[in-house]
Amino acid sequence: MGNKKQKAPARSLVLQRRETMVSYLFLLPALFFFVGFVITPMAMGVITSFTDASFTNPEGTFVGLKNYTRLFQDKIFLKSAVNTVIIVVVSVPAVTAFSLWVGSAIYKMRSGIRSFYRCVFYLPVVTGSVAVTVVWKWMFDKYDGLLNYIVKALGGQPLPWTSSEQMALWCIILILFTTSIGQPIVLYVAALGNVDASLEEAAKVDGANDFQVFWKIKWPSIMPTTLYVAVITTINSFQCFALIQLLTSGGPNYSTSTVMYLLYDIAFKTTKEFGYADAMGVVLAIVIALFSALQFKVMNGGTTE
Amino acid sequence: MLKKKSMTPYTILSAVILAALAVFFLFPLYWIVTGSVKEKSDIIIKSGEMVKWIPTRITWDNYQRLFKTGTELFGIQMPMAIRWLFNSVFISVVAMGLTCATSSLAGYVLAKKRFWGKGLIFGLFVCAMALPKQVILIPLMSEMSSLGLLKSVWGSMFAVIFPVVGWPFGVFLMKQFSENIPSSLLEAARIDGAGELRTFLEVAFPIIKPGFGALAIFTFINSWNEYPLQLVMLTQNEAKTISLGIASKLSEMSNDFGLIMAGAALAAVPIIIVFLCFQKYFTQGITMGAVKG
Amino acid sequence: MKKVLSTVLATALVATTLAGCGGSKPAETTAAPAASEAPAATEAPAGDASSDVTEIVWWAFPTFGVDTGYEQELVDAFNAAHSEYKVKVEYIDFTSGPDKLTAALTSGTAPDILFDAPGRIIEFGNAGYLVSLDDMLNELKPDLTSESLVETCVGADGTAYMYPISSSPFYMGLNKEALEKADALQYVNLEGDRTWTTENFVKMCEALRDAAPTQVPAIVYCGGQGGDQGTRALVNNLYSSSITDADGKWNIDANGVKALELLKSMYDSKALDAGFDMAAADELQKFQQETCAMTFCFGTSSEVTYASEDYTQIAVPFPSDDGVPSLEYLVNGFCVFDNKDEARAEGAKEFIKFICDDAEWGPKSVIKTNAFPVRKSFGNPYEGDEHMAMLASWSQYYGPYYNTKDGFAAMRPLWFNALQQVFNGTPAQDVADEFNTAANAG
Repeated sequence: MGNKKQKAPARSLVLQRRETMVSYLFLLPALFFFVGFVITPMAMGVITSFTDASFTNPEGTFVGLKNYTRLFQDKIFLKSAVNTVIIVVVSVPAVTAFSLWVGSAIYKMRSGIRSFYRCVFYLPVVTGSVAVTVVWKWMFDKYDGLLNYIVKALGGQPLPWTSSEQMALWCIILILFTTSIGQPIVLYVAALGNVDASLEEAAKVDGANDFQVFWKIKWPSIMPTTLYVAVITTINSFQCFALIQLLTSGGPNYSTSTVMYLLYDIAFKTTKEFGYADAMGVVLAIVIALFSALQFKVMNGGTTE
Repeated sequence: MLKKKSMTPYTILSAVILAALAVFFLFPLYWIVTGSVKEKSDIIIKSGEMVKWIPTRITWDNYQRLFKTGTELFGIQMPMAIRWLFNSVFISVVAMGLTCATSSLAGYVLAKKRFWGKGLIFGLFVCAMALPKQVILIPLMSEMSSLGLLKSVWGSMFAVIFPVVGWPFGVFLMKQFSENIPSSLLEAARIDGAGELRTFLEVAFPIIKPGFGALAIFTFINSWNEYPLQLVMLTQNEAKTISLGIASKLSEMSNDFGLIMAGAALAAVPIIIVFLCFQKYFTQGITMGAVKG
Repeated sequence: MKKVLSTVLATALVATTLAGCGGSKPAETTAAPAASEAPAATEAPAGDASSDVTEIVWWAFPTFGVDTGYEQELVDAFNAAHSEYKVKVEYIDFTSGPDKLTAALTSGTAPDILFDAPGRIIEFGNAGYLVSLDDMLNELKPDLTSESLVETCVGADGTAYMYPISSSPFYMGLNKEALEKADALQYVNLEGDRTWTTENFVKMCEALRDAAPTQVPAIVYCGGQGGDQGTRALVNNLYSSSITDADGKWNIDANGVKALELLKSMYDSKALDAGFDMAAADELQKFQQETCAMTFCFGTSSEVTYASEDYTQIAVPFPSDDGVPSLEYLVNGFCVFDNKDEARAEGAKEFIKFICDDAEWGPKSVIKTNAFPVRKSFGNPYEGDEHMAMLASWSQYYGPYYNTKDGFAAMRPLWFNALQQVFNGTPAQDVADEFNTAANAG
């Protein structure tokens, strides 16, 4: 796509300078907000991560990498890191695969039904985590919750859901899942609709079965969408927060504590060590960036780009 | 090509699963809306009792309790909860307007112009997306306080709006859309002697319009649900948003489920209506950007 | 250094905004900061030359009850009597309020007055965010109902940070009808001050388990720090232990371990349940809905909030091996934040005196908190109320007050996690050892 621009041979310096100036003028409003209200506090956060700043000592003194080395000896942090990785590793493939399935199941339906499903799956995103979590909290309630009501009605033993170390994280993943698949489905429906129909026909004429058509024709052409879905889901899963705060507060026994939750908990609730909390944030940001880069690498390896 | 397939066991099975899932996904919303008009005895399931799937009697008591405290805005008396709703709308609309304006300009030049520092700036935008917002909360608050924004009701609302506008996702999205603008068109406009701004408004904008719509709805929903930022910035009662108000009701009156449901309905229903009205543009736009990406 | 950086950047931002790119912003943007400039200016040491009315901001937890409008009544009455001050009340809740306070204090946007309890207030005071209230507390001392109340109001260095208004015990609540159905009321002492023993508590729980009038007899909530004083009181009373040792260190001693082991064995035999994802508010809700037959977090205000028309709630102290309970108690009080402005601090003090000491509003405020006055001169505002008289008499069982000790805030998350571990099968001694090390580490 960028080829066209290269066609213009070495333009005059004046023109180029003019273009640069115009570009920056256009960029200025966005940069104003970005630098002012994202980069500046971010830089301050990074600086703080090298200090021992805390509630009792908000300015803090420089302590070098101490906060960072402390992270790797902190059992709770390590547990939270493992939980975070579990959430990402489970939910990214699950969301991607499931939304692809729903997408391919509905993209050929009549447009009315198609938009109905699209909306239904998008609803939890729109409803907002506070409202959604209120309902889920009640569903997962061990004593009077809906899920156990159903389990009991079916003659089973009530389950502990969010009050069990083994199940709580899966409950979180389930809710996260319901609030994550809306956008991917919208994307896949469109991407599948854009797949060149003649290629599909040709393959069928050649005797390819449905699976082969999907794998050889559709999958490669929806690759960019898959990549986008994977990256967005990764970022969202890493940053899952309100859900945990409202549902389990990281418990039982830190089994649902994630890095994101822990850093908020440390900064605002328990020891209020801002420097330490910010160090977690910096590490988390780096890991998210690495994960996303890795996905680009792995998936782009499969396409022609 | 639409209905050429016959009913295979697979299509039937997937139709059944889809329908079941739809019920599952619709349930929370159904429960919130019906819960908001249920009587107390309908809401709480005591051991051994049946779940009341449908309200036995519709009551507006929950809303009455929600609307009990009043306030004033532009000289009009109104319940506090309505003021919160207004604040949510105000914050989301202003954030939406500013984000769309700034991001479309920036995304356009990042996609279509060559200039010094382009790679660096775009890289910075992309990297910032990975950053957890919680890290910047406290520095952001000191900054807003130095700006004097946190002292007044309107000021603190802008303290929520500005970081949302600064969030780089919009720029990223609009760059994706702008890639679709044929360079030849821009070149032609330039040769015709059109100014840069006119070129943007008359040539580029019509092409990225669907993306613009997508970004608008996306930002609207995002700032509506932006919880931690609202939590720390909006301390004054008159500045609260509806989701913040509901969260505090949830804490104060956790045993008044009807009230909570009424609040949750008030927070969710308007945004769902907005979404349903504009979902066409939304899906259209969002697809265009990402699929071509 | 960061403050300087942020100020410079902030100024630069404002300059750029004014310089031109403000065009894209709606008119309100420019109007809002301008309107806020006057109060903002008072933050600077230069003072408030522009106005002669001092604005005071009061953040109120719902200690006077939720949505009662009482705060506003107080403010209106005070503003009417003191034209030189203008008080503004802002409401915060117990879930998000503490986070808000942390953010506001560290970013220099603190209010002037907070209505809270010693736990947080003394933490703020020790961290240097509060104005000393020594003068006020000294004046009040002779009138205090109990000498020991002083220690709830002072920080580590003896400076007074809280001006107390009222106090009340934390205790247990029982479901009378459920106990009757399980024939377990016999184990409860309803005579006198209702003190009872660990042995009878266990028998009561077992009877409730066997007859099952409610889904579970009791829920030991341990999913968060909300209302955790209740579970601490439970554990510490069972075998008369204490959460601090003679040196004032955080400590679960041998008797504490014994108590944890008892709870674990009761959990295993289903004589009680553990609420791994519940805090006190959740448990109280279950008590109100008759899912469990007792609550460990009853108090004079939760009695009102979680009252039920369907059954009778009985208040009892915590059971202990010797039948002499050691109760935790709540002290409500005010603190004044140090915003480096003499006038505001003075006004704030004036206002809290008005709330607590005014002949008309003082006693009224006490009653609004549903607790007992800490001033002898107020007498008994609940004249003729037998139930309140009994609760007031429990003040003789008040245990040592530890919420103001160093490391209290850091100890709380360790506490509920320790309970979780015990219920999950980690030997109580190991849990106690870990708790004792971690809680004193800071």
